[in-house]
Amino acid sequence: MTFAEVEEISGYVGNFTAKIRKKARFVDPTLCNACGECEKVCPVVKPDEFQTGLSSRKAIYIPFPQAVPCSYILKMDDCLGNNPIACGECAEVCEKKAINYDDNDEIVTREVGAITVAIGLDVYDPTEMDEYGYTRFNNVITSMEFERLICAGGPTGGHFVRPGDHQRPKRIGFIQCVGSRNPKIGRPWCSNICCMNTIKDTLLLADHYPDTENIVFYQDIRAFGKSFEDMFQRSKQAGTRYVRGIPGDAEEDPETGNLIVTVENTTTGKLERHELDMLVLSVGVEPPKDMDKISGLLTLSRTSDGFFMESHPKLKPVDAPTRGVFFAGFCEAPKDIKDSVCQAGAASSRSGALLNAGEIQIEAITSRVDEVKCTKCGVCAPVCPYGAIIWKKGETAAVIEAACAGCGACGATCRFDAITMRHFTDVQINAQIHANLAERPEDKVFAFACNWCSYAGGDMAGISRFQYPASNRVVRTMCSARVSEEMVLEAFRCGAPVVLVSGCHYADCHYIDANRQTVKRVQKLWDKLERARVRPERLQLEWISAAEGQKFAAVMRRLEELRKTVTAEEIAHAREALKPKPKKKKAPKQEPVAAAAAT
Amino acid sequence: MATTTIETFRCMACGHEYQEDVERGEDKERGCPKCRSNSIRHLKKKAVAKG
Repeated sequence: MTFAEVEEISGYVGNFTAKIRKKARFVDPTLCNACGECEKVCPVVKPDEFQTGLSSRKAIYIPFPQAVPCSYILKMDDCLGNNPIACGECAEVCEKKAINYDDNDEIVTREVGAITVAIGLDVYDPTEMDEYGYTRFNNVITSMEFERLICAGGPTGGHFVRPGDHQRPKRIGFIQCVGSRNPKIGRPWCSNICCMNTIKDTLLLADHYPDTENIVFYQDIRAFGKSFEDMFQRSKQAGTRYVRGIPGDAEEDPETGNLIVTVENTTTGKLERHELDMLVLSVGVEPPKDMDKISGLLTLSRTSDGFFMESHPKLKPVDAPTRGVFFAGFCEAPKDIKDSVCQAGAASSRSGALLNAGEIQIEAITSRVDEVKCTKCGVCAPVCPYGAIIWKKGETAAVIEAACAGCGACGATCRFDAITMRHFTDVQINAQIHANLAERPEDKVFAFACNWCSYAGGDMAGISRFQYPASNRVVRTMCSARVSEEMVLEAFRCGAPVVLVSGCHYADCHYIDANRQTVKRVQKLWDKLERARVRPERLQLEWISAAEGQKFAAVMRRLEELRKTVTAEEIAHAREALKPKPKKKKAPKQEPVAAAAAT
Repeated sequence: MATTTIETFRCMACGHEYQEDVERGEDKERGCPKCRSNSIRHLKKKAVAKG
């Protein structure tokens, strides 16, 4: 289904329902034979997005040569109007009567078992980097514009000319990493494809125009794929000069339109000045703008640079944390065509295997709602990162077990003990707290550690023989979000001088973003401890990854020092001050009739 | 456009207090600029009664 957008997705693995908006084309693709008569008579001229604005299109057009189906669409925003019809030329010349000005968007619903997210990428817009004069100088172009100019299907029919004077450039400079590896503009990531794209461009130029002088300004050339190093060497052999250094700015010679760049060649340590006919900015790539929408539709989490986060970087690189959702291509991380095709193949195999199995096996660690205890408050539903809790106002909550991943955030949030986390119940965790702090609690640092990162970080500290005091007692939960306020307070009531809550780093949370609930809970607890005149510093929060054994040991050493500062009086005060307050018994309401009779 | 406010934070490990621009709805892991601990307490502004 082309020219369509997903509006809404509900359900869970094997049972997704997708609501899709099929946009109005205003041209019936079953009738249109792409004769092009309509395009000829259309009086509207607009920049052609596919040709990066280097040529024009009409309001009725085929978006790009390989479009499927190969039929025209009418962009109503550009059309002179259909209500009332101000022009109508296209409809008049269409022999097939394929144009329908009254066409409307259509909402289509589809039941699907698995979803692959392959929403592609956006190219960095270098207008904010004014130093290269992209908006001021005609002969400064981006690598995408270069692509269109040298393409046989491009606006110049493959004749490579300068946009300024339509003359063939003889000296071309390429500046690498424009919008990549630059934390100053919020783009610290390597875009992965730009180095090889530039190398390919220099080879194309050397092939088409052997007399062209090409200079590439770079900070590193990352040619790590199969045959990529060979391509790089061929580019150098073809005469392309590689200068290690990025120019600070570009100036234009107003008479010739040539660009002058000054650069420090860090290989020779000399300052070089180059006069170029054309400057190509090798622009980076970025997550597409509609990532937020898709992320909301499928409850997907994103890494700090904005790409979708996979379930596991090594073991499940194509799976989303939400079961039944897979990634292909750039939306997961910058990658070239070959890697994107590999990932797409893997995603399709993963979904095929899932659907062919007919049924799925899930971990037994899932939540269960006690319908009797549930007060229908609905607090649990929004904290579930997977949207696995169904709740409607006035109804008890219910857990979709196939969608539940077992973080336990809901169980820790429910104040009425209505949610039980199988294998990590409140009773089981409290029993561990009591057992660990049964003897000489004042000598112990009590820690809650998440299964995937912090607990594994502790293991790493052990196997790496990092030294830390033996005073710590660690209780494992699947996610730090499973640790409820009551559990932390119970540890203090049992006499713990210091309590640590630890989990995965933000970008590593194994339950999408469940550990954000941990932060909120610890913030609340600090306030609560302060109100109870308990030193809030006695509760600590740390993100420790599985590889950070050293950090685990350092944190434990620091907490041991903190423990030594906690006095017996402080521990005793905390035991008393944090005791649960007895619930006030409500006075029984008198029946109005009975009350009247009594008077 | 995203709205930013200056918020005060206190490190519960070393006691360092600092201010930082916080974008509305931002989702960022916090660490103490001094000791790098993640025990960062967000100090909320206290309401001032006007009379």
